[in-house]
Amino acid sequence: MAGRSTRSINGSNGSRTAPARAAALADLLHYECSTLLELFRKKENFTEDVADRRMVSVPPPSSQLDTRDKLWRIHSALLQCQKLLEKAVAKEEEELGGGKKGEYENKRKLVKERLPLLILSTGELLKAAEGTTSLTPSVEGLELNVPTNLFDLKLWVYRVYKEVNYWSKTATNTLKDLPSVIVKERARTTRARRSTRR
Amino acid sequence: MLFSHLLADAHCLSLQMRMIMISWLLLLSLFRQSTQDGQGDGVLRCGPQNVTLAHNDQTLLLKWEDDPSCSVIRDGLVYELQVLIADKPVHNGEVVVTPAQIGSTHSWKWTSHLPSQCARHSVRLRSQYNNQSSPWLQKMLPGMQSPAEISVFPKDKILEVGSRATFCCIVPEGKSFRRMYVNGYKGIEKKISEHVHALTLHLEQQSENWSDVICETTKGEISGASFHAGYPPGDSDLQCETRDLESVDCFWNVGRKMEELAIVRRKYQLHGSPCISGHLGKCSQKVEVDAAERNWTLTVTNPLGKLELHDRADLTKRVHMVAPDKVAASTVNPRNISLKWSWTVQKYSNLNLTCQVDVSDGDSNTTTKNFGVGLTAAVIKDLIPHWDYDMRVRCGTAQHFWKWGDWSRSVKIRTKGDVQDALDVWMKVKEDQTVISWKVPLTNQSHGEIFDYKVSWAKTKEKNQSNQTNVSRSNHSLTLTLDPSEEYMVTVTARNINGSSSPSTIIIPRHNLDKSEVKTSWISGSNGSFFLSWPVSPNASCGYIVDWCPVFGNCTFEWMKVPLNRTHTTIFSKNFEDGRRYLLSIYACTEGAPVLLQRREGYVRETKIEAKLFKLKYKQEDSAVEVSWEPIPLEKQTASIHGYILYYQDKSGDVFNVSTDDPEATSLTAKNLNISTYTFTVTALTAGGLCGNTSINVILNPPADQIIMLTLISLGAVFLILSVSIIICYRHWACIKDKVYPPIPKPVLTENWLTSPDEHTVRPLPFDQSHYSEVLDVPELHDKFRPPQPVVGQDYMPFTFSQTPKGYYNKPLKKLQPCLTLPTTGLTSQPGLPSFPINDVFPNPSYNLIVQGEDQQSQSHPEIQDGMPIIDSGYQAQSPEESFSTAELEEEPDSPISCVSTYILLPQKTSK
Repeated sequence: MAGRSTRSINGSNGSRTAPARAAALADLLHYECSTLLELFRKKENFTEDVADRRMVSVPPPSSQLDTRDKLWRIHSALLQCQKLLEKAVAKEEEELGGGKKGEYENKRKLVKERLPLLILSTGELLKAAEGTTSLTPSVEGLELNVPTNLFDLKLWVYRVYKEVNYWSKTATNTLKDLPSVIVKERARTTRARRSTRR
Repeated sequence: MLFSHLLADAHCLSLQMRMIMISWLLLLSLFRQSTQDGQGDGVLRCGPQNVTLAHNDQTLLLKWEDDPSCSVIRDGLVYELQVLIADKPVHNGEVVVTPAQIGSTHSWKWTSHLPSQCARHSVRLRSQYNNQSSPWLQKMLPGMQSPAEISVFPKDKILEVGSRATFCCIVPEGKSFRRMYVNGYKGIEKKISEHVHALTLHLEQQSENWSDVICETTKGEISGASFHAGYPPGDSDLQCETRDLESVDCFWNVGRKMEELAIVRRKYQLHGSPCISGHLGKCSQKVEVDAAERNWTLTVTNPLGKLELHDRADLTKRVHMVAPDKVAASTVNPRNISLKWSWTVQKYSNLNLTCQVDVSDGDSNTTTKNFGVGLTAAVIKDLIPHWDYDMRVRCGTAQHFWKWGDWSRSVKIRTKGDVQDALDVWMKVKEDQTVISWKVPLTNQSHGEIFDYKVSWAKTKEKNQSNQTNVSRSNHSLTLTLDPSEEYMVTVTARNINGSSSPSTIIIPRHNLDKSEVKTSWISGSNGSFFLSWPVSPNASCGYIVDWCPVFGNCTFEWMKVPLNRTHTTIFSKNFEDGRRYLLSIYACTEGAPVLLQRREGYVRETKIEAKLFKLKYKQEDSAVEVSWEPIPLEKQTASIHGYILYYQDKSGDVFNVSTDDPEATSLTAKNLNISTYTFTVTALTAGGLCGNTSINVILNPPADQIIMLTLISLGAVFLILSVSIIICYRHWACIKDKVYPPIPKPVLTENWLTSPDEHTVRPLPFDQSHYSEVLDVPELHDKFRPPQPVVGQDYMPFTFSQTPKGYYNKPLKKLQPCLTLPTTGLTSQPGLPSFPINDVFPNPSYNLIVQGEDQQSQSHPEIQDGMPIIDSGYQAQSPEESFSTAELEEEPDSPISCVSTYILLPQKTSK
């Protein structure tokens, strides 16, 4: 994995394909998550505009953000999404689950399994952008105030899915706009900055 | 006056004073009384104290004590209660407190239809005694605070299907309620207050999972509460038993489908211990099994209810045995096997057991029963040698049998081989050829692979001089040439690896059985088989044999043996063919040769005989035709022929028939036929209808004598007519002569007349030969058979020609018989027309002279005398009648010649 990151940074063929691959993965996750949302909506008879409230806390987007910051923002958001999703799935199973294994449950499992892969990819890109000593975003501060009553739990789960959906889409767009050359240059810049710091 | 007034006033005052006094006394006495009973001034002092109001879910629980003053009350109290929701009374109740209960803590429960969060609930109470009430004492539930956000109550409720549930939506200040709804349920909305709305649902069906009551504001904000509608436990039919005499196994019917939601899933306990597999309807627990009846209780609970199921049983009488273990054959013989097994439950060894051994040979199953204490072995008999069996065992307690235990695993066992069973041998004799046949041994009869067969035969008188031959295993018959005058004994054996089978012997009788004096009767098959029955034969000592083979073609005979006690059988054979005639023979099996008892012939199923069955011939005899055919060969008779019908049809289409019921008939005769062309169709009469139709066309010739007869009659008739004609002619000769050939008087002519034609308008006689001939062509007039046809204009000529060949030409008058033949009817006069023909006709002067004849005068017709023409053909004018009809002639009958102006005009006509 590290080798792949190195190649990416060094401007080999892999350096161009890593963000693209991550973008494709994010796109796929977005697609799966959209389907999951649709299934959940259908299952719980929710309308689309229900529970529109952000749960993930990251710096706001800005044109001033460089590649590393953009990657960091995405990576951090996805990490929070993962934490939320895991909790949501567990609570749903525990409180609302009927032990069924239908289409919804399968899709939920798929999204839950695919999200770490995207996190891994963005993490690698972040590492590549920052060098070996990358700063892993923390999710310790994430508030996981899971509602105690079932209806609010459903709304909460729905919000989590929406959040995953939103961030997978954002990741897709960000990663697509992330030219490998910039990554490389950014890596150099970072290195230069760090060496200057030193 | 004043005094009296004063007296009256004093009296009134004293009365008032007295009244006041009485009232005070009464009040005083009442006060005293009320003080004694704990009440005073109409307000009961005895009342509730230490009142608390709590709630559990939607149930309000009110508790209170009696005031100490109540202790004096001896005959009990009544507490009146009132529930208020949002300060409106919604329910009234009362609690009766007996004297014994006075002083204790009282409680009262009431379940509200609204959750306590939805509206303020309060309860007030007071005591009542002797129409005295204590003051109301009100208690309110801990206050409901207005939520900051839209909220729905109650939350996460589990409700019973069939019940009603009310949910409320509380909308905070500044927001407006829009609607409340639940997917899958119908509800009734009700406004409780400005900010509280309720929705009452009738829960008619079970929720699949959690359903949501959703409340929506006008701005689209939503909130909700989930609920589940389900059923309380519905398990039934608990039954407990033991398998190992160390534990109890209970089973029951779980009823409705088990809930999927974990929270509402039923929980099972057997005698207070949880059952892991309770949702499957079974539970097992270790217990000490003793010979005593016990109660076995299963408790089922879920959030909606609790259920207890009971069963009372002595487990020693309810032993459901486990399957025997390690089942195997201890001894294997050709026809029996010893089976053994063991028990995994040691306690079974003391039980008196009954065991079933299920023996399957692939096609059928047989079960044998064995008994014994702690049974672990069984002998299985009557098995087929060299045969594969599947065997399994199960057991139950012989004493207090409860139910059969589980079947053991099936074991495959093959019995040892043995010699082949005795062969089933039969024979068929045809002249000096005797076919010895035996049935192909079935696999359960051969007991091993057959090598070959050995056939030996000898005269019964000379048993020592036997012949023998080996027949390969692929052959199952042998044809012997035996002396029909001798009785033979034939023996057949089969050899396999285990040796030779028991010999099968058959005696071939001296005389051919087929030639015996047994009549053949008819038999009809049904459902592809023959049902045969016969009377008991005293000859039969070892049963009966029925054999059969087709009547024509190769007789590959088949047979079956019938036990002695039966005199009927149904014969099925895969070789039976529809539309084929079979001969069935019934023999008595004896110590010696078989004795033929009966013979039957018939079809298993008749089929329609094909058309053109017959080869037809015919023979005409006078007006009869005999249609014959060749006898129908049996192979063509696919159905039994009961007779024949001969249909015949002439040209007119009329159909006649003759028939016969004789199936042996080979001809039928159609009689009284006309000389015409006939179609003869012969058809065979069968049970399935008419078939085999064959037709021929026959042209019938008139018979020779009839021709002769006709000729003679014709000749006779001609002769007779001629004779009569001759006689008539002879007798009327003079008349005929006068009429036909009258003497022509010599015309008396003056010279002037002859020589000065110019002086007369009449021309001299124009004796043109051709004209004459034309005019004399009169035979047409005498053709009495010809209808009177108007002959128009010049069409006269062809008519003339038609007659000339017959020799009428130039001699017509001689042949005419005007007396007899002259037609008159067709010659109707037509008034107004010229009296004579005008065109193309030459009046014949000589003809006109006929008028001088005597007869002709008498026959003159008045119409014609009027001089009316008959038709426009001048030909008509030449008829004798017309000739006689002229007025001039009548006026001057003696005139040797009469001249008619018409004659004079003739030349003009001819000049035309």
